[in-house]
Amino acid sequence: MKKPMIFSEFFKNNGPVMGSILMVLVGFWIIVLIVLPQLSMLDFSFRFNLPPAELGGPKDNYTLKNYKQLVYGAAGSEGTYNTVDLMVFVRTIVTAIFVTIANIIMCYPLAYYLGQSKGTSFARLLVVMLIIPYWINEILRAFALRIIFGETGLINEVLTFLHLTAEPIDFIRQNYALYAGLGYAYILLMLFPMYNVIESLDRNQIEAARDMGASWIRIHRRIVIPHAKPGIASGATMVFMLSAGALAVPQVLGGPSSLWFTQLVYQWFNDSLNWQQGSAYAIVLLFSSIAIVLTLMRIFKVNMGDIGK
Amino acid sequence: MSPKVISRLALGAYLLIFFGYLLGPLVVMSLTAFNSSGFPSVSPWACFTFEWFDVLFKDQRILNGIKNSIIIGIGTVIVSIAIGLSAALVLTQVWPKLRTTYYTIIIAPILIPGVVLGISTIVFWDRVSRLLGPSTDALFHNGIFLTILGQSTFIASYAMLIFVARLARFDPGLTEAALDLGATHTQAFRKILLPFMRPAIASAAVLAFLASFENYNTTTFTFGNYPTLTIELAQKVRYGINPSISSLAFIIVVLTVFGALAFEAYRRNTGNKERAKEGKAAPKSGGILPGFLRGNPAAVVLVLLCFTVITAVGTAQSYSPEQCKMDVRAAKQLEIDLRIEALEEKRRLRELGKTHEGPDIFGTPEVESEDKAPSSSGAFGDVFKDLEQGD
Repeated sequence: MKKPMIFSEFFKNNGPVMGSILMVLVGFWIIVLIVLPQLSMLDFSFRFNLPPAELGGPKDNYTLKNYKQLVYGAAGSEGTYNTVDLMVFVRTIVTAIFVTIANIIMCYPLAYYLGQSKGTSFARLLVVMLIIPYWINEILRAFALRIIFGETGLINEVLTFLHLTAEPIDFIRQNYALYAGLGYAYILLMLFPMYNVIESLDRNQIEAARDMGASWIRIHRRIVIPHAKPGIASGATMVFMLSAGALAVPQVLGGPSSLWFTQLVYQWFNDSLNWQQGSAYAIVLLFSSIAIVLTLMRIFKVNMGDIGK
Repeated sequence: MSPKVISRLALGAYLLIFFGYLLGPLVVMSLTAFNSSGFPSVSPWACFTFEWFDVLFKDQRILNGIKNSIIIGIGTVIVSIAIGLSAALVLTQVWPKLRTTYYTIIIAPILIPGVVLGISTIVFWDRVSRLLGPSTDALFHNGIFLTILGQSTFIASYAMLIFVARLARFDPGLTEAALDLGATHTQAFRKILLPFMRPAIASAAVLAFLASFENYNTTTFTFGNYPTLTIELAQKVRYGINPSISSLAFIIVVLTVFGALAFEAYRRNTGNKERAKEGKAAPKSGGILPGFLRGNPAAVVLVLLCFTVITAVGTAQSYSPEQCKMDVRAAKQLEIDLRIEALEEKRRLRELGKTHEGPDIFGTPEVESEDKAPSSSGAFGDVFKDLEQGD
């Protein structure tokens, strides 16, 4: 927070009434909505799941039990790892990374094309068409894919009709539907930041490079991609965090045997009613995905200030 | 072919695939809303029907969900706009050394998974209510209260980003001038800054409402006894699908298309007006179209869409698929009769063959008839189509 000497200046700039309103609102947001809830979740994750009567009693101590549960499984099975949950965790993170990479590859050409042909009415039409799926509910988009990928869905009907397959393919059990759904759900959050930065690239730079005989690959590697890096980083961060934390898409499109890590969190909360255990899992998800994002930002030399542009 | 043609073709194919991936599922989903078959599908097309809209509008849980969503949406808009605007104003004044830290904190809610936000909200307020005693339970365990706070945590960040972009173009000299002329800070804020921010506030309000309306990850932990529309939808999608969801989706798709077109038409219209003012593009006189449609394809499409919807709703009132359903039933019966006849025919032929040419080719027709059986569903569908066209 700000130092006292800054405070006085702040109130001088804004007047006592406006100054206090601003301080109260921002303080409420940062302290009551952001920081304290996260801290209480962290605190919660180190506690036992006790009945209400015993709260605050002698048994209400800190423990690492909830984290041990994730690594070693339920108490009593010490020595062996909790392979089921750990595999779900690894799979969630790895899949989210691949979804992000796939989205970068899919969006880059379109972002470049739109950025370069800005102002033409065709490009504007495309942008309007992009906005439409952007505002459709995540659940409904997953539902749409489920209709297509279902056992009697459109793709299977077409494949059978063309005699490409004798038996319907179970896309949902094979997780293809899940991958397609995750890629589908957040693709526009990759496209728009990328498009915004490429749009601001001066076309003359590209033309100069071409006049000097640079190949297309070289132009993209040396001019367009370095310029678009903040947009790509911003989009990649959003897509990675949202896919790793996705709940709706795996619930609708995931196969019965394949869980997403957020589904484990959901089960601990809503099915087992063990909030402490759920909090521990949520903390693991939060910290590991933040760690991955920060590492990648360090590797690719991107600043936090670029996110959200 | 010259390389230019090849690259154009590649671009076209790529655009086709990209937009097919993006819009195709929505189109298919919308179509399933009009198929009378009980499971949302397009390929065995039975009857064109509006009955799923009827089912939808009679669904009490969906209607209740819409009501809760609107209440929560309005609450979230108010909270997140107030917070987002103050946060953006503070960002412009914060001590430069603290700026990055401050920005990281207020941008973090966008990056924190929604699930985590939902959990931390209920855990925190559960603790607060335990500290303050059971008399506060009613408020701190109330689904609407928790959902508004949980959603506002991150929606305020979105609003803040919009305000920061607008504030970057604000001339602080205006406020200073007002203050020099004797206005209080509150007056300067209300008379100078607020009018300047109005467009940004409008777009942030729309964005915040939509984000709140479609949020699932946070709400699924906080909703308590007040399930929102998205929660109800998720329950339906997970535990038993029927095409009334498609009909809701279709309505949402149409509304979104409306919104996008109206926005585009508005932007073009203001753009055209500005150009006309500058005298760059003199408005063509003597067109059949009224002024606001001229040179504005989005507006033309919008008006056409309006007409289509009005006609569709009008026909929906009088259209009844009962005839078609009876036809389908009749067609099914006919198909069954045909198949029975065909089988009898085959049996007769077989018997004829047996008597005429001896038993050595006895196996061939038998195999054929068994082969036919699995593919009958395809033939089934074709017959339907023919009959429907015949109608």
